[in-house]
Amino acid sequence: MGEPLRHSSLIVHPSSFTAFLALVGLAFRRQWRVRGVGWVGLALLGLTAGVVALVTAGPAGWGLEGQRVRRTGVTYRAYAAQLTPEGRYAALTAPPEELPPRPVHPLETPSPLDPTREGLRSLLLSVPHAVLSSDRFRADWAFLNFTRWVVIGAYLGFVLPLFTLAYASGALGTEREARTLVWLLTRPIPRWAVYLGTLLGTLPWCLVFAGGGFAGVCLAGGGPGREALRVFWPAALAGAVAFAAIFHLVGAVFRRPVVVGLVYVFFFEYLVAALPGSLKLLSVTFYARSLMYNEALAAGFPADRLDLSQPVSAATAWAVLAVVTAAATGLGMWLFTRAEYRDDV
Amino acid sequence: MGIPITTGAPTRVDPARHKDSPLITGHCSRNTRLLFEHVSKWYGSVLALNQVTLELTGGITGLVGANGAGKSTLLRLATGQLRPTLGRVTVRGTDARDWRARRLVGYSPDLDAFYEDLSGREFVRVMARLCGYDRTEATRRADAALDRVGMTGRADRRLGGYSKGMRQRVKLAQALLHDPELLVLDEPLSGIDPVGRQELLVLFRELAAGGQCLLVSSHELEALEKLTNHVVVMARGRVAAVGTLQQIRDRLDSFPLSVRVEVDRPREAARRLLALPEVVAVEVDADGAGLVVKAHHPRRFFAAFGRLAVEGGWEVRRLEPLDDSAHAILGYLLGGSGRT
Repeated sequence: MGEPLRHSSLIVHPSSFTAFLALVGLAFRRQWRVRGVGWVGLALLGLTAGVVALVTAGPAGWGLEGQRVRRTGVTYRAYAAQLTPEGRYAALTAPPEELPPRPVHPLETPSPLDPTREGLRSLLLSVPHAVLSSDRFRADWAFLNFTRWVVIGAYLGFVLPLFTLAYASGALGTEREARTLVWLLTRPIPRWAVYLGTLLGTLPWCLVFAGGGFAGVCLAGGGPGREALRVFWPAALAGAVAFAAIFHLVGAVFRRPVVVGLVYVFFFEYLVAALPGSLKLLSVTFYARSLMYNEALAAGFPADRLDLSQPVSAATAWAVLAVVTAAATGLGMWLFTRAEYRDDV
Repeated sequence: MGIPITTGAPTRVDPARHKDSPLITGHCSRNTRLLFEHVSKWYGSVLALNQVTLELTGGITGLVGANGAGKSTLLRLATGQLRPTLGRVTVRGTDARDWRARRLVGYSPDLDAFYEDLSGREFVRVMARLCGYDRTEATRRADAALDRVGMTGRADRRLGGYSKGMRQRVKLAQALLHDPELLVLDEPLSGIDPVGRQELLVLFRELAAGGQCLLVSSHELEALEKLTNHVVVMARGRVAAVGTLQQIRDRLDSFPLSVRVEVDRPREAARRLLALPEVVAVEVDADGAGLVVKAHHPRRFFAAFGRLAVEGGWEVRRLEPLDDSAHAILGYLLGGSGRT
């Protein structure tokens, strides 16, 4: 067996900062494998991106004009064309089999003997066609439609929380499950620094997967998706950081962090954030949605059509997300410093 | 109630300095490496450690006790993993929970969990980096530590494929990385083959000779006896005895031990037991179901009791010391596993 270590000719004093950086590096390397819930997230992302790509490639796409009016079987573009004077007069002389496959309202029937009334009626009924002829309207509608269903509904509601849950809760949770936390707790590193270091080590993975997933879903959405990626990426990343801080805390506190995290995502973030009233102010998703709302508004989109109930201002949303991140991290550091882990018992 | 081997004052254990002296008790000194001051630890409603006072100043101290006696709790308190419910644990005067204290402590846990995808060398190097050494120094220290525990030639295989003995050596190597003043080793000889065990015993003695203080837990007194004559015996959360094995045995001999005996003929047993020179008193239960014997020199008493029981053809239903601490100590000193 070898000589005592202290007989070294060169004494090098250890540095706490070096230890902290080494811990961040170790936490980063330990996270490279996709975990069980990460596979679920990837599958959900693949499913979402696949559905988005199908819708994008379909005849209707994300725009309004190609979609069918409920209970009529005709598209909005065709319906609007049928309401113009040409369409209405053509229907008068058309054979029955060429009539619109929908119930025709009596007001649509031309009344040439009453020119004033007919003029006003033609003017009013031409509005849908005029609106659908507007490139700006069509682009806005497609963008908001994509945002409502894909960005807010699917990505912010499920994919983003699942990805961050997979990685952030695993930073300490996996160490606890594998009973290897003792190696970190018996190093000469303050407990709070162990907590912070593991969070910093896992954060890049959260951002890469959350950001990459967001880009993937958006790029599958064609033009509206690319626009959503350009407008919403800061909100998506801010949401990822806030969720990472929360799920890291969950990983430090609970013995089964994934279960607790899933319950939190589905029964709190998803449902509560969609509720009217003040309860939604407690959910992180609400502030990420508010941020998106304000970003869409700033980009010139009529974001009020997103049906977001009482969104807060961009400054408030940024501040709350930052405070949530800092508070969850600070609380985690405090709890972790006081915690006693006996997971091997 | 423990046998009067320990006192309420800090119990100083310095085998290196006091090889031939009796047990020393006194207050915290300049040489104190590890100090437990009236430490109790509760896990919810379970009392895991009860008013433990202990001072380590150097050398090798063995910590023995049955499973659940409180050994691991004591070691976790010493390494700052747990916070005492009552009392104080310090390493060189620094609270054991303080991260700076961990610069002074090397810990080899009983836990057999590693980053299995790393090689032994990578693992020890990572631990060195987490001690705050730069890459070059971490590599140098990792190589030196692995060399000390005899793992140089086998350190590049993945930990997942290591035998129990090799894993024990890697755990020991990571504990040695930063030249700690205090080495806390939880069952370090478990799973080691006889040759490897001998090598590690030599290493422990070298470390102690080099000035490091070792606290070595084991449930095998035989292994510890080869390493040190100074032991702390734990029983049901208390330090039941501290000192050299001889001191403990001597004091145990002079302490009248109460033993509960239940046999089919208690009155005959009481009469014959009273004739033994070790027995000072016998009390027969009012209902005649059993008796309580007070005896000195327990080893001689138990030997004589066995002889009488065979000669008299007694059906012995129960033979149990009534003192918890003595119960555990006897288990060890008589060669058992901590239970009599």
